[in-house]
Amino acid sequence: MKNAVDIANILLPIFYLASFAIYLYDFQKDERRLSNVKRLFLFLTLVFHTFYLIARTVAFNHPPITSVFEIFTVLAFSVSFSYFILELVTDIRGTGLFIIVISLIFQTISSVFIVDLFQVKEVLRSNLLGVHVLHALLGYAGITISAVYGFLYLMLYKDLKLNKFGLIFERLPNLEILEKLSFYSAIIGFILLSVAIGIGVIWLPKAFPDFSYLDPKLVATFLVWLLYGIGITAKISGRLQGKKVVVLSIIGFGLAIFSTIVTNFLAKSFHAFY
Amino acid sequence: MNLLAISINHHTAPVTLREEVHLSTDEIKVYLDELKEKYFSEGFIISTCNRTELYGLPKDAGTSYMELENFLVEKKAITNLTDEHFQKFFSCSALNHLFKVIAGIDSMLIGDNQILGQVKESFQLAQEKQFAGFLVNRVFDSAIRVGKRAKTETTISDGAITVSYAAVQLIEKIFSNLSKKSALVIGMGETGKIAAQHLHDKHIGKLSITNRTIEKAEQIASAIDAQILPFERFKEHLADFDIIISATSSPNLILTKEEIKTMMKKRGNTATVLMDIALPRDIDPEARSIDNVFYNDIDSLNIIVEHNVKKRKDEIPKVQNIIMEELISFFGWYNSLEVAPTIKSLRDYYEEIRLAEVEGYKNKFSKEDQEKLELVTKRIINKLLHHPTTELRKVAEQGINTTESATKIALVRDLFGIENKSNTDV
Repeated sequence: MKNAVDIANILLPIFYLASFAIYLYDFQKDERRLSNVKRLFLFLTLVFHTFYLIARTVAFNHPPITSVFEIFTVLAFSVSFSYFILELVTDIRGTGLFIIVISLIFQTISSVFIVDLFQVKEVLRSNLLGVHVLHALLGYAGITISAVYGFLYLMLYKDLKLNKFGLIFERLPNLEILEKLSFYSAIIGFILLSVAIGIGVIWLPKAFPDFSYLDPKLVATFLVWLLYGIGITAKISGRLQGKKVVVLSIIGFGLAIFSTIVTNFLAKSFHAFY
Repeated sequence: MNLLAISINHHTAPVTLREEVHLSTDEIKVYLDELKEKYFSEGFIISTCNRTELYGLPKDAGTSYMELENFLVEKKAITNLTDEHFQKFFSCSALNHLFKVIAGIDSMLIGDNQILGQVKESFQLAQEKQFAGFLVNRVFDSAIRVGKRAKTETTISDGAITVSYAAVQLIEKIFSNLSKKSALVIGMGETGKIAAQHLHDKHIGKLSITNRTIEKAEQIASAIDAQILPFERFKEHLADFDIIISATSSPNLILTKEEIKTMMKKRGNTATVLMDIALPRDIDPEARSIDNVFYNDIDSLNIIVEHNVKKRKDEIPKVQNIIMEELISFFGWYNSLEVAPTIKSLRDYYEEIRLAEVEGYKNKFSKEDQEKLELVTKRIINKLLHHPTTELRKVAEQGINTTESATKIALVRDLFGIENKSNTDV
């Protein structure tokens, strides 16, 4: 099993790279015959990734959520899986490469730096922690996708303002759709993060003796959550729309990434994994 | 195949001449009757704003292009129409031309969306007049297949190639559902009218128009379900519109940047599209610097048009391949209508049956009887085929590829189910 995990760990970035390459080629050439091929290849990549996550859980006797680099591979899966569902539901096929590249980056970093941990703290085997982390990761996948669509919105907005009618103009869906995709992804991300925070607030004080509400990770996560909450409320009430909404989503994503890096690598937190 | 065609079109004649030659549906019906009486055994006429074309299978070999040209000139009483204004086609080139026309690659606007429907109507008129026989009906089938394949297998008709349609295409890159949007078209000249029509066709939620001469606006409004705003007061309502298209002939700006700024404030800064398709411009181009204002003028729309025209031109080789495939298929079928291959196919067909039956039963006969079996079955087949073969040879003596011989041969092939086999042989 360990060998299978090691081989899959090497192959996964290659699978994501191949999916990205097909989506990129289709974005440039817009060949009708490729539109189903690329979706099929992404599906196979996700099936293979599912196998990897299960194999890893079985081989090391704990879910792959005990280190940053294990989290990264789950995040890579969550982002592409969420996009795959979104593509199936909306049938908007021109944006995949911008999302899959995020999974490619996360998976490549994970594959390079991941370590095999056989012995982990008992708290990391808790079911509640599993639910907490699962919601947090899917939530982060949601805000990641929201930020990508926000970024695409800004690219198309800029091209439209400058009368540039190239590939971005031709291949991307219209501004309103991009705004909607960004907003709905943010809502889903926000709800899932709310659940993750809720579980965390109830369970963490019991699980960690050195727990503090002023922990930098908690404060940063709460700030990200608050920012999205304000943005979503403003959008629903009609006070914020268009460019400002997507800019807020991108800022929220930047803050989330920044807080993850700071709290996991620089600051001392009970919330760091090792 | 002796299909004859003459064409006066945008390659050969200016618009004034094309207008004079243009035939209405009623005229086409009358002309078809006369062509049938004088020149053709089967035929059809295509007449659109960019072309008038006569196609037909001559009753006798002596029918010349000049006779057909004179027929048209005399009927329409046009004095300045000369031989140089006509293109002439025969047989394969006539069919090739028809296929190019129906595929839209001979159109003034390459990939024209309307031509397929217009040619279909021409076919229907010929059928209505019982002027479409065995061969012309086959020509119709092939031509319509070319038209449909060009639309579905290539992108020859994709993208806007007129300024007013490019404006609508651009609007669709900003808004997802036009039925929830409101639009104002300022100026009801030809360009403004077409733009308003495009918006109506795209099911815009609310369409308003304004024009200096209110009577002109009134004439157009009912046809496109538009409200009319008095020209003197339309600026009071600017904030109500998501899309503003301006196409007046005003020598000065009619909307300034300050007016747009005020409008955006009233609209709560929601996205607004300004399309200035007037020359000289109607809207201050500086308005493009305002957040959430998408301003486009003729120059920027022309970029889209030129880009799409180039893309359509790049698709022409793909369409030509389709035409080539269909020409090969058509002439494969047509050549199979010659006498010699038909006799051979018919004999092969019978021989196959004879052999299969003999093979199946020969073990029930002694060695000596097997030879007799071969002999007897061959003699039966020869006797059965003697009369049909003699009749087919008589057809050949009437001349190769006459409509009558082609019809008879096609009937034989259909009856004995040998059409497909010979097509694959070609």
